[in-house]
Amino acid sequence: MKANKEWIVKSIALAVWIGILISSGIAFAQHRQYKETVVLGEAVTQVKTLGDYFEPIKGTTNDCNIYILDSGVPGGTLLIMGAVHAEEPATNLAAQLIVENAGMATGRVIVAIHQNRSASTVTRPGDAYPQFFTIDTDWGEKKFRMGDRWANPLDSWPDPETYVHYPSGQMLAYMDTRNMNRTWPGRANGSLAEKTSYAFMRLIEQENVSLTIDLHEAELEYPIIGTIVAHQGALNVAAMASMMLTAQEFPIGMEISPLALHGLSHREIGDYSNSPCILLESPEPFLDRVRGVTDEALLLTGQDEFVMKAGEQGLLYWPIDENGWSIDIRVARHVRTIEKLTELWTRFHADSAMVFAGLPSYDEMVEQGVGHFFADPDSVPADRLAFE
Amino acid sequence: MIIMILYYIMAAFFGVVLFWNFVKSKDVQKAILYLVILMPFVLRVFRLK
Amino acid sequence: MYVHAGIVLGVMAVVFAVARLLKATTELSMLAAAIGGAIAHGGLISPRHIVDGAFTYFDVTLIFITATFFMNLLKRAGGVDYIIRGIIKRFHKHRALSLLFLTLVMLVPGALTGSGSVTVLVVGALVGTVLTYMGITKERVAAIIFLCAAMSAAAPPINLWAMMAAAGSNMPYVGFFLPLGVISVLGALFSMFFLGWKGTPVQLEKVMDELPKPATGMVGWKVFLPFAVFFGLVLAGRLWPWTMPTLGLPLMFMIAAAVTVATSPKRLPIFKVARETVEGLLPLIGVMVVVGILVQVMALSGARGLISLGVVTLPLPIIFAALWLILPSAEGLVQYAAAPLLGVPLILLFNMNGINPIMALAGMAVMFPIGDMLPPTTVVGRATTMAVGFEGSYYQGFVKRCLIPAAFILLLGTLYIVFGNELSFLVAG
Repeated sequence: MKANKEWIVKSIALAVWIGILISSGIAFAQHRQYKETVVLGEAVTQVKTLGDYFEPIKGTTNDCNIYILDSGVPGGTLLIMGAVHAEEPATNLAAQLIVENAGMATGRVIVAIHQNRSASTVTRPGDAYPQFFTIDTDWGEKKFRMGDRWANPLDSWPDPETYVHYPSGQMLAYMDTRNMNRTWPGRANGSLAEKTSYAFMRLIEQENVSLTIDLHEAELEYPIIGTIVAHQGALNVAAMASMMLTAQEFPIGMEISPLALHGLSHREIGDYSNSPCILLESPEPFLDRVRGVTDEALLLTGQDEFVMKAGEQGLLYWPIDENGWSIDIRVARHVRTIEKLTELWTRFHADSAMVFAGLPSYDEMVEQGVGHFFADPDSVPADRLAFE
Repeated sequence: MIIMILYYIMAAFFGVVLFWNFVKSKDVQKAILYLVILMPFVLRVFRLK
Repeated sequence: MYVHAGIVLGVMAVVFAVARLLKATTELSMLAAAIGGAIAHGGLISPRHIVDGAFTYFDVTLIFITATFFMNLLKRAGGVDYIIRGIIKRFHKHRALSLLFLTLVMLVPGALTGSGSVTVLVVGALVGTVLTYMGITKERVAAIIFLCAAMSAAAPPINLWAMMAAAGSNMPYVGFFLPLGVISVLGALFSMFFLGWKGTPVQLEKVMDELPKPATGMVGWKVFLPFAVFFGLVLAGRLWPWTMPTLGLPLMFMIAAAVTVATSPKRLPIFKVARETVEGLLPLIGVMVVVGILVQVMALSGARGLISLGVVTLPLPIIFAALWLILPSAEGLVQYAAAPLLGVPLILLFNMNGINPIMALAGMAVMFPIGDMLPPTTVVGRATTMAVGFEGSYYQGFVKRCLIPAAFILLLGTLYIVFGNELSFLVAG
């Protein structure tokens, strides 16, 4: 009798368990396989993939699209990297907005929307991130994947017991072997993230990139926020951009890339290539550890009572009020800062000029919302679509 | 790549062990806990998470 | 938001208490609390949150299983008895020397891997048996093993709490070697000598009679080879990080296990040992998986933020006075996740107030692992009691016995933070 009861309970438990596994398994698979649609703007002249620059990346999850916007007028080449950390959505949205909207007057722009694509196929266990978020556009909702800071363990397993950065020998926590902003300048036979960094270094070399801009977002508890971090090779441009934007448009700081911190783009790309690197940080309250309910609304509005309270107590490095930091403002800050940096770069480096034509203004992006600038995939022929 | 495959084999091996212990367990609470622990093993082996 | 997160926390507490009253195990009660909290948050949430949470400590779970599997195979092969007999024979006349040697043995695995559990699972039972034969009560033995394991996890070069918090606050993990080394070695030695000095001299002949005889054919190299392979792989990874393939701790343990099987004088029942391993570890890995689910629901509902906010908004003098309680408690609740959750905002707060951040973080990074014996997870604490075969009361016996050395370590950690600037000469190391 007792044995019977035991089997009945175990069978019910097993049935419930199978149900949970199937349902969550489908959810995980849908997230991993979901493809974001990119409408190629008029300035996009070619779409390559990262594997074109480093064969071993070909066919891997991180063989991301490389969009080339060529004005046809000789000048410099700008590389923009979005979603190095895939939990910082204003970065891939800004990169995609440029691909879909930018016109080019001089020089070239190369864009990677999801630089560490593997990280965009997983969310962080224990942190309850939403798997997707949607942006309202003029033609309906546009859906995007939310990701993580680290590459997906399905693509990079196992981690070492401690991660030793190449070539500095600096030791970092084990999971940072999957963190693409700790693996620069990369290693040809390293972890997936190290290989991806290595591939981007080859891209920078082969495409003769003049300036690299790496897009990020940060929690308000983090000291490096709302700022431009620059390698010494681009200090003048970064300092001027910070001064001019702060005086005329929105406050943005400027910091010099520390010499002792290794693996970061703004340090290593400049040290190991001819392209100085600038990193941009926008405020993302969703990442704060003291945040309240973790949901899509927080991700998009950046409004959070707990984070505000921390601000009142002087615990934050960036201000926040009940308006929060909306995704529109965060994307607009990135796009406008990129444009300003290119203006100043061109002023200082006439021989490698890069001039945008046709980017939306900061006010337009904030007032109309970023969704307004994403084109309807149904309105263009299939050969003007790409998938992320 | 070979190391990653070895990890999947390792996860599958201990997954089987956990399931076998679930089947053999006479204590229902223990059996349920085996199933809970088994979840990440199964999804990893099937490359879903 | 405050009310919502508060209600979720309240529901979790009530569901946990009711489940315990209904005789559910701690692990299943916590699972029920997580599900209760999720329902209080917003009705039936997607099951993927439950599974996502179950993945939180998957890496650590694999390390636990493989390390214990390796040690259980070695035990079956008779290797453990062989080592214990050897240590006792060599050191039985010199108590102080024995304790020093055993402290060193305890510190190495955790210092290299950053995990107190690895220390307990790899050398805990061995050292525990030797200490027992030195006339130390089981209660004290368990306390020594746990505290030394905690200090081994804190010891440099690998201290995961410091590494995670440093990464989260944009600090290089540089300059920590001496600050962490001094405090963790002092803590381990104090624990070992305070709890282990009193005892009875080892009666060699009696002990040798009582100890199980190693299996026929078991010889020195067969016992040491698996350990040599394991530590050799760890060291090779550190010495040649860019030429050695990344094996990861679980595979290193499995390779050591394979060597054990290959060199064992008798045929080992691999599947049976694996089943026993998983069965023995059930409470430990069960609680880790369930706590992961709990943490996911707390993050989802804002309950985690409420707790985190509550801590970091305390006035600085109160933080100084309460860190010894807050950090271990957070560790008990969320394990390593305590470092990014509390460590990062606290280190930034200290930095804002002009306290040397490396010293402050070193102090905090030694206080976290003390919490590994605290509920709800009690991970390393439980692993310890299992490894040394302590069957008395967990809190009244084992935890109580840890209190004085733990207080000593927590005091040292607090002094590091409060007098960080005065002690900053250590950072040069």
